[in-house]
Amino acid sequence: MSATAAAVHSLWTTRALADTAATPAIPTPHIEYAQLSPVLIVFGAAVLGVLIEAFAPRAARYAGQLAVSVVGLAAAFAALVALAADGYAQGRSHVAAMGAVAVDGPALFLQGTIVLIALVATFTFAERRLDPVAHGNRVDSFAAQGSAVPGGEQEQKAVRAGFTTTEVFPLLLFAVAGMMIFPAADDLLTLFVSLEVFSLPLYLLCALARRRRLMSQEASVKYFLLGAFSSAILLFGIALLYGYAGTVSYGGIADVVDGTAKLTPALANTTGNDALLLIGGAMVVMGLLFKVAAVPFHMWTPDVYQGAPTPVTGFMAAAVKVAAFGALLRLLYVVLPGMRWDWRPVMWGVAIVTMVVGAIIAVTQTDVKRLLAYSSIAHAGFLLTGVIAVSPSGVSSVLFYLVAYSFVTLGGFAVVTLVRDAGGEATHLSKWAGLGRRSPLLAAVFAVFLLSFAGIPLTAGFSGKFAVFKAAAQGGAVPLVVVGVISSAIAAFFYIRVIVMMFFQEPQPQGPTVAIPSPLTSTAIALGVAVTLVLGVAPQYFLDLAGKAGVFVR
Amino acid sequence: MNAYAPILVLGGLGAGFAIFSVVMASLTGPKRYNRAKLDAYECGIEPTPQPAGGGRFPIKYYLTAMLFIVFDIEIVFLYPWAVTFDALGLFGLVEMLLFVLTVFVAYAYVWRRGGLEWD
Amino acid sequence: MNPANYLYLSALLFTIGAAGVLIRRNAIIVFMCVELMLNACNLAFVTFSRLHGNLDGQIIAFFTMVVAAAEVVVGLAIIVTFFRSRHSASVDDADLMKL
Repeated sequence: MSATAAAVHSLWTTRALADTAATPAIPTPHIEYAQLSPVLIVFGAAVLGVLIEAFAPRAARYAGQLAVSVVGLAAAFAALVALAADGYAQGRSHVAAMGAVAVDGPALFLQGTIVLIALVATFTFAERRLDPVAHGNRVDSFAAQGSAVPGGEQEQKAVRAGFTTTEVFPLLLFAVAGMMIFPAADDLLTLFVSLEVFSLPLYLLCALARRRRLMSQEASVKYFLLGAFSSAILLFGIALLYGYAGTVSYGGIADVVDGTAKLTPALANTTGNDALLLIGGAMVVMGLLFKVAAVPFHMWTPDVYQGAPTPVTGFMAAAVKVAAFGALLRLLYVVLPGMRWDWRPVMWGVAIVTMVVGAIIAVTQTDVKRLLAYSSIAHAGFLLTGVIAVSPSGVSSVLFYLVAYSFVTLGGFAVVTLVRDAGGEATHLSKWAGLGRRSPLLAAVFAVFLLSFAGIPLTAGFSGKFAVFKAAAQGGAVPLVVVGVISSAIAAFFYIRVIVMMFFQEPQPQGPTVAIPSPLTSTAIALGVAVTLVLGVAPQYFLDLAGKAGVFVR
Repeated sequence: MNAYAPILVLGGLGAGFAIFSVVMASLTGPKRYNRAKLDAYECGIEPTPQPAGGGRFPIKYYLTAMLFIVFDIEIVFLYPWAVTFDALGLFGLVEMLLFVLTVFVAYAYVWRRGGLEWD
Repeated sequence: MNPANYLYLSALLFTIGAAGVLIRRNAIIVFMCVELMLNACNLAFVTFSRLHGNLDGQIIAFFTMVVAAAEVVVGLAIIVTFFRSRHSASVDDADLMKL
């Protein structure tokens, strides 16, 4: 028997010792709680939320949940700022929790973005002035009782009693905590677990709409089945990468890819199979591309975005994209930079198809939520052009674009919640005709968001697009930039068509009404407008911030 | 590029064969359907989605079974810790207490919201 | 026995699961196929763990099992609500949003 085989067996057999009480000492793991505090605070708030659901009387839950969520998210943001101020974003960035979580510039930047998105999303989740008062109770966008059959006796009872699903707040917080770990994950196991931690609450949130419940449940089933399928593919990719490198840590795999790893003889014989690396890497990237809704994996997006409750759609569209692009960047820039000649052509193709398909299919849409869904697909394509640059400016431009895109998206979906008729939200575009005559302020705000999506100068969308296209062009991807500009022009056509429709068409006689929101939704929309204009007119400060945050730890 | 040519040719041949088979089968094959032929194969039993007894769905059992599975599986993490308990010392104990506490929060939620009641 | 055979088995199981997801129409069975895929991943992890002689893969298999259990609970809850409101678990009936 060779020496290596003996070493293998010694893992699970031990020599019988005379002194059986002596257990071999295991080096105690070390957890840097302070550096993980933002995530831990959000998790803690979520657990507290579950306790509120369990023990607080029903009447007190809404206020309690709202307070816990807002305070928890604000505290997490403060902790993130403190970490960044301590220099963890640049000089002191390192890998915490035994190599599981990276604390570096991109991680802190994206976590901060996600927490702010979640804070705004909490406001839209908590909005209770839009639906008419039902049986003396103010209600939000979520089902009275998620488990009751739509239209059944139990549901009517729950509606009469004024029930609301306040569980949405802890679910949101769990999803946020998962999303915060996702772009910071520094080994593949953490990547997979955090993916599930943020996906599972989202599947549930999708099913909880108050109106059009069948559609909402259908969206949830579709999202769940396809999401589970894609995460299984991602997991098999992880298994193959583990087989390739003998480790799941990002740095370890990157070392094996580069050929600089110091391997024990036992590992040297079994690692380095390139077939495993290529197939495994492709499958992991596939799983991530599903989450960002890039084109061959985008089929779920329109249906899920349309069926889910609109506040959830806004949150999902913004935060999932931020988290998943963060993870994609880290994977491609930290684990697989040694393979960029293999993945860049593939990403070229994916980016081109995503931009073109997203823009062209959006032109034919008649539902405003589906329209925004296809626009989010097109934006995934623009973001991918920044990823392809493989340069520091590629990282920082993607970070900047994510901020610009996510707040505009949140604001856009918040506007959609306000335009209502008897059946709830009036999402069909024909009903939006003439909205500018009836409610000029709302139409103007929505026009600002659409112009930003289109990338018209002086909006955040333009600064973001300019940054990613510049990075891509510097990285040698000029044809990609040309395709990007052309599909931006196609996309601009349908955004402007909606604006023309709102301002220059006669309102329908039985058109929708615009609900007067509480300060919660107004804040979300106002923030969206503010971010659009500030990042559009004076982007330099934020570009510098993203530039400073653009270095990964390894 | 030349290195990829055989793959492209193979892909083309494969796609051509697939299209040819499907088209020819639909043009030339006889079509005699019966109920058994259209049924999905389900290991010899009647395929779901219509369960026996008029489409009723045993919802109570489903809930109990699900709760059992999720709490049962959580315990898997206790085993490695139990084996190395004394080697990990206080750190392991505290971490495990945090873990068990979190599981208990979920349990408290299930209990308070009536998930454990059979009727 | 050559450990690589377990890898072939795991790839085979994964493929069967993936084919099932794409072919079957019943949401529960689609979901079972996803679970089959996850378990195929577990087999691959454990085999690679044996090949490399480190324990990472076995630990990951634990995590996968727990995640799979959580996914079962969430997934079945969603599918059961869907079934109760439509009396069908066929994914072909989920067509409210077709254009």
